[in-house]
Amino acid sequence: MQQINKNAVLALLSLTSLVFLLFQLYYYKFYLSQKNGAVFSKVRGSQSGQDSTRWHVVRKFLGLLSSHNIPVYLIDPLILGLVDKDFEQIRSSPDSPSPECRYFCAPRDFTTFALLDKTWKHEMGLFRTAEKMGFQWLKIINKDPRLDGMDDLSGIEIPLHYIFKLASHAIHLVVFYERSGNYLWHGPLRLKQHMDRKFVPFRKLHFGRYPGAYEKPELLLVSIDDLKVQIPKNPSSFLEEMSHSRFLECRYREARAFFQLYPDDASLDAVEFRKKAKSLLHLAALTLNNLGVKFWLSSGTCLGWYRQCNVIPHSKDVDLGVFIRDYKADIIPAFQKAGLPLKHKFGKVEDSLELSFQGEDDVKLDIFFFYEEDDHIWNGGTQAKSGKKFKYLFPKFTLCWTEFVELKVHVPCETLQYVEANYGPDWKVPVKTWDWKSSPSNVQYNGVWPVDEWDDVIQIY
Amino acid sequence: MDEWKPNPAIKPHKKRSWYLAWKYKLMNQRALRKLCQTGAVLFLLVTVIVNIKLILDTRRAAYEEEEESAQDYDDEMLNVEVPRHPVSNKKVLDVEVYSSRSKVYVAVDGTTVLEDEAREQGRGIHVIVLNQATGHVMAKRVFDTYSPHEDEAMVLFLNMVARGRILIFTIKDEGSFHLKDTAKNVLKSLGSQVAPFLSWRDMWTFVGKKGGEVYGEKHAKSPALSTWGDPVLLKTEVHLTSVEDAECHWPDTELNRRRKRFCSKVEGYGSVCSCKDPTPIEFNPDPLKDNKVFDVPVAVIAGNRPNYLYRMLRSLLSAQGVNPQMITVFIDGYYEEPMDVVELFGLSGIQHTPISIKNARVSQHYKASLTATFNLFPDAKFAVVLEEDLDISVDFFSFLSQSIHLLEEDESLYCISAWNDQGYEHTAEDPSLLYRVETMPGLGWVLRKSLYKDELEPKWPTPEKLWDWDMWMRMPEQRKGRECIIPDISRSYHFGIVGLNMNGYFHEAYFKKHKFNTVPNVQLKNVESLRKDAYETEIHRLLGEAEVLDHSKNPCEDSFVPDTEGRVYVMFIRMEQEADFTTWTQLAKCLHIWDLDVRGNHKGLWRLFRKKNHFLVVGVPASPYSSKKPTSVTPIYMEPPAKEEGAVAVPAVAAAEQT
Repeated sequence: MQQINKNAVLALLSLTSLVFLLFQLYYYKFYLSQKNGAVFSKVRGSQSGQDSTRWHVVRKFLGLLSSHNIPVYLIDPLILGLVDKDFEQIRSSPDSPSPECRYFCAPRDFTTFALLDKTWKHEMGLFRTAEKMGFQWLKIINKDPRLDGMDDLSGIEIPLHYIFKLASHAIHLVVFYERSGNYLWHGPLRLKQHMDRKFVPFRKLHFGRYPGAYEKPELLLVSIDDLKVQIPKNPSSFLEEMSHSRFLECRYREARAFFQLYPDDASLDAVEFRKKAKSLLHLAALTLNNLGVKFWLSSGTCLGWYRQCNVIPHSKDVDLGVFIRDYKADIIPAFQKAGLPLKHKFGKVEDSLELSFQGEDDVKLDIFFFYEEDDHIWNGGTQAKSGKKFKYLFPKFTLCWTEFVELKVHVPCETLQYVEANYGPDWKVPVKTWDWKSSPSNVQYNGVWPVDEWDDVIQIY
Repeated sequence: MDEWKPNPAIKPHKKRSWYLAWKYKLMNQRALRKLCQTGAVLFLLVTVIVNIKLILDTRRAAYEEEEESAQDYDDEMLNVEVPRHPVSNKKVLDVEVYSSRSKVYVAVDGTTVLEDEAREQGRGIHVIVLNQATGHVMAKRVFDTYSPHEDEAMVLFLNMVARGRILIFTIKDEGSFHLKDTAKNVLKSLGSQVAPFLSWRDMWTFVGKKGGEVYGEKHAKSPALSTWGDPVLLKTEVHLTSVEDAECHWPDTELNRRRKRFCSKVEGYGSVCSCKDPTPIEFNPDPLKDNKVFDVPVAVIAGNRPNYLYRMLRSLLSAQGVNPQMITVFIDGYYEEPMDVVELFGLSGIQHTPISIKNARVSQHYKASLTATFNLFPDAKFAVVLEEDLDISVDFFSFLSQSIHLLEEDESLYCISAWNDQGYEHTAEDPSLLYRVETMPGLGWVLRKSLYKDELEPKWPTPEKLWDWDMWMRMPEQRKGRECIIPDISRSYHFGIVGLNMNGYFHEAYFKKHKFNTVPNVQLKNVESLRKDAYETEIHRLLGEAEVLDHSKNPCEDSFVPDTEGRVYVMFIRMEQEADFTTWTQLAKCLHIWDLDVRGNHKGLWRLFRKKNHFLVVGVPASPYSSKKPTSVTPIYMEPPAKEEGAVAVPAVAAAEQT
């Protein structure tokens, strides 16, 4: 009796364990498939079904938009990457039927399209039709940054992103706005409290972690996988632009607070200087952009942007930074051609290079070249009369876009560290007397140029 | 977790096997087998426990991951939804109404919706309209029925209020002196017992439903002419109806949804909320052929005068060639009602936190609005600037479309304005005629982006300078000798009466008789002759053909100009130097045109119409056109009036600054 009992218990326990083991396996599989759907769909062998779903969803979506006359263009990095590989073929034969679904069937969770705000009216009809076609949709709205500024304005929140979901695929529609400075801007994707956090795996979106700034793209109508769709004329440069498109808004609220503490200089001199600095900056940006030299706002100009969203009227010059790897010998002639003669040149390409150009009426354009080391970045300074060298150290930084005096320009993304390195913790307090050799908090004495090099490294015109 | 049940059953067995193992001390095979069995059981148990733990862990991890996945995208700001009005499902409202000499107040469910104890203002009958379903305040008005004609305005307003709305009345100070029988009868028809007998300095409160029951009325008679009635406090209850009963049943369209939202919130906009035959809120005027201003943004500068804004937007949206997508209404302050009006018409509205005070506030609002306009439309080269108290002519955009290229090409132009300061009923005649003038009239004008961005914005008066933006723009430092193009007959009409710097008399005298074009599709003539040099040729041609008037006559007399039509006449007045406007001001005064400051001049020349004849006035010798004066003619000189009149004129000029 006891024996039977014992065996029964043993059998029961084994069974239980087995059940648990199976359950565990199933659960693990379920968990994995949720985390990484694409991988598991392949394992399950349902690839073709999944793939054609994506294509069908894209086709339906394009149909929906064309029925409402809304022009969109494809900005999906995955597909554009694939397209870029076969670009010549796609461009040369726009109408040939494609033998297989190569692009829109590629495994992914989203397909991303862009929409220019000014090309459509915010109409509800679109969403009603979308619902009828079976799409679920989500609209992400937020503050209109074009109203941000020194004046405290508030308008209706504007749509920044739309997500249309059908079956297992989703379309991410990014709304681009034209802003002053002749560029396009898209907003960050931020969910409000009441929104469905599981509508789609938001983490995997290619756009929306940060706001972004782009040039206005030229478009090309192509036929991919038998779908007519607009894409950027140069997909590879678009993808390159996308990889560092992060945009920073000026800190207008802090700037307003700054001006409450230190009222703005409204004198005629200040107005005049700002006007000249603005046009000098526009000219410099045009010249450097034409050469393809990447630059950013540095020193006082950067401080002006960060602290007061404007040119500091008593700064007397415009300062730009350029990585030495982007240096081109054409820079000096290009500026001379633009009407800005070289004022002085300190250092050499290998060490502490600095160029100064003479703008209109005493406003000077300084271009500092930055040298990258393993754990820091530095630029050099030279005292003309003594040949003394100085070194200004900065923590490593990356570049972000911003808008400044109606211009799309770069600033260090880590602006606070950059400004603090340069101006110390009291950067918020305006200082009228500034000595570039001793005032910066990141200055280091860096020896003296050998006398025989002076003719080369200290050139004053 | 049913699988766990066998557990208790094992316990005795387990103990026993340990006991046996100890007893036989591994001596026989059975004991060894049992030991193995026990070991297996234990192992299984442990596996089960570990499995369960694993399942729980993975589940928690997965959950956390999901939470986290959206975290980056969470809005940083905690959006706590604050309802604009207390939400209550109560069916009964407690209403308190107080009337006295120096203070009135109305409280609905303990919330004060009206309180006025300011001295020297708010006299008369205060009216509040509540929504009968929600209890929200839909309109608040005060009619100073101590003064004439205010009772007519009140009757007009009460007639506009929809049936079923709850009306609350209370008198502050005095409300009966000019309360005529018509008005009293309207109040009586609302159910008031006291209204027909209201008299001098009585205090009175009344709550009733339009076309329905009366919720309460209280009255205190004034015992003598020199004293006021005792303060009265009326406390009553109002029964709310269902939302469906309070709404009209319009067909469900996008437009009607906007209308419904508007009409459930505000009152006093007439037939727009009429259930039977509501007035349209979409106008679809004819498009303009070859419209050059279709993509030009239109900024409407507004304050808190929603009824004006309503009238203004109606006329703007009815103008041919209007593009509603380019219109932005900028409201100075966080007022709800103007925003409701903007939303009714489906336009975009932007609110601005007021900065500074008085004229500087207006000026800062202009700056913020213009900056935002060019930010919102970075492609735009121009912006049309309008104010909330203007009617817009049907051919406003046609007028701009025909002339805007001049502003682009002619550097000597400052603006194009729809307003002719001297264009009165009796002095303007030709809708196709344009002028160049040295003054900036405003009141519906086009601003060039480069002018704003490069010149005006950087040095716009700061808030602490209490300047008027338009006076500032007229200053020589800003205008730099540039001129504006204006039409002979204005394309805008200034109907605003209650403004910052306006009073009724002033408006009557200077604005009411202004001519306003109502003819559509006017083809402007000779637009090219408005260019800088061409205009001089044109003026010389005009002066060449003009007949010189008889300078011995009094220019103020009607007979000064012969009874002809379509002729060109010229007269010469004395003008010692460029800034000598002594005679001009006197002439303007007697012609009943704008005389508060000098407007509409071009190099010492004024152009207007008298008796349907083109009438030119040349200032001699300051004007370069003086050479056209025949030597025999002596320029007319008119004496300025005695000093005290001049003293009166000073505040009037101050009052005119806003216009």
